[in-house]
Amino acid sequence: MKSRESFASRWGIIFAGLGMAVGTGNIWRFPRIVSQQGGGAFIIVWLLFLFLWSIPLLTIEISIGRKTRLGVIGSFREIIGERFAWMGTFVAFVTTAIMFYYSVVTGWCIKYFFATSLEGLIKKESTEFWSSFTSSWDPVIFHFFAIGIGATIVFAGVVKGIERVNKILIPSLFFLLVIAGIRAVTLPGAFQGLEFLFSPNLSRLADYKVWLNALTQSAWSNGAGWGLILTYAVYSHKRENPFLTSTTLGFGNSLASLLAACAIIPTVFAYFSTQNFSHEKVLDVMKSDNQGLTFIWIPKLFANVPAGSFFLALFFLALTFAAFSSLISMIELVTRIFMDTGMTRKRSVALVATLGFLFGLPSAISMGFFNNQDWVWSIGLMFSGFFFTLAVIKHGARRFRKEVISHPDIEFKVGKWFDIIVYVFLPLQFIAMIIWWFWQSYSSDPIHWLKVNAEFSVGTVLLQLIVAIFIFIVLNNRITKKIERPSDES
Amino acid sequence: MSLDAVIFMVFVFAICFGGFFYSLYLSSKNK
Repeated sequence: MKSRESFASRWGIIFAGLGMAVGTGNIWRFPRIVSQQGGGAFIIVWLLFLFLWSIPLLTIEISIGRKTRLGVIGSFREIIGERFAWMGTFVAFVTTAIMFYYSVVTGWCIKYFFATSLEGLIKKESTEFWSSFTSSWDPVIFHFFAIGIGATIVFAGVVKGIERVNKILIPSLFFLLVIAGIRAVTLPGAFQGLEFLFSPNLSRLADYKVWLNALTQSAWSNGAGWGLILTYAVYSHKRENPFLTSTTLGFGNSLASLLAACAIIPTVFAYFSTQNFSHEKVLDVMKSDNQGLTFIWIPKLFANVPAGSFFLALFFLALTFAAFSSLISMIELVTRIFMDTGMTRKRSVALVATLGFLFGLPSAISMGFFNNQDWVWSIGLMFSGFFFTLAVIKHGARRFRKEVISHPDIEFKVGKWFDIIVYVFLPLQFIAMIIWWFWQSYSSDPIHWLKVNAEFSVGTVLLQLIVAIFIFIVLNNRITKKIERPSDES
Repeated sequence: MSLDAVIFMVFVFAICFGGFFYSLYLSSKNK
């Protein structure tokens, strides 16, 4: 077996891990959800789920990757046994399916950065601009550039590509978010936004929707259960402490979300305070979908801000950096799996880039297809997280702590609380999310909720997930035999 | 902006900043 590459320093996995976790979801989803779910109360619960869902899952992933030195499929085979390795194939497939359309999103961010900087987007009617952009061939062209640039970075290798680029992107992203935040909170009327965001409003804690939205936001935003940080941990040092690395990533990702909320929510309030609109109108804007808020409302809001064009370009640059740093980790996840079959990095990356471009095309061309894929595989991630939990349960949580998380050189040990989280909290949270999802879908549309050819329905999700799981179970032996055995370097 | 909101904002940022840098500190000590 060839020796593995590894990060040049422990900052490598910190920056790469932050790049993986901090994505467009921090910038466009968190401010939207926190506004809808009552500000401060949501933040309390969201921080709680950082400890109950995200940090334990990130710890599990990092430990597995560091121990097995294999990508997601090989790791599952080593931890849970060959018979259940299809769970690893499923986890890898869900993240790959997300990569296909995430590259399209990254392309949109690049386009909007250039449109703001060079085409004077701020002076145009943003709704018309968005609809003419999405109905043209531009999304395909920018999707091509996004996957091409991402693949070039991964092709350069772990140290010269992934580590080096993330060491530039992540500090720059935090710097841009701080600048955007300072600009936002110094606008007239912006303090109403901060008041709205940070009022504890404890009565909202009785609302179950606040809890479930906080859990899903924490799960998706931290990248826990995606298999991404597992892949990066393959290149970590033997003495990397999985728990401390997870807490560093979790808190760093939360900081990015809070900074993004401080940049967006006060800007929305400042804009509407000049129009004498009520809080309800502000909430209407924040209820727009991700694309509606980012690509239609944000340009309108910045049009009223002094030096708005400059700050809008800064905003889309931050969004582009966040998108790229996450896209790179997705490309590396698939590349690592191909490399585990004996392929070279060069051939693996070329294959991933080609597949990524081709399978991303439908999402670049059709917004309906994009929305369907975003809906289906976001829910698939809940199952991915649950499969990681099952892997640890089957291995035995105590044994996992002693054999996989611990290392003779690591002083800081994970205690028995980890077993309780694995056996009780992680499964309970998964079950609660699934029941809530079924209930919400049924109560909002009792007739069509199981329709399989709908854009958003339980039926379309179940069909695609079941087909994927069926195929991976059938092909399990063939797939796992192609993956090489781990070395004894860990 | 009310005092409640200011205190809560400082508290939330302190947790995130504190958690981030304390984790980094502990893992560097482990070396």
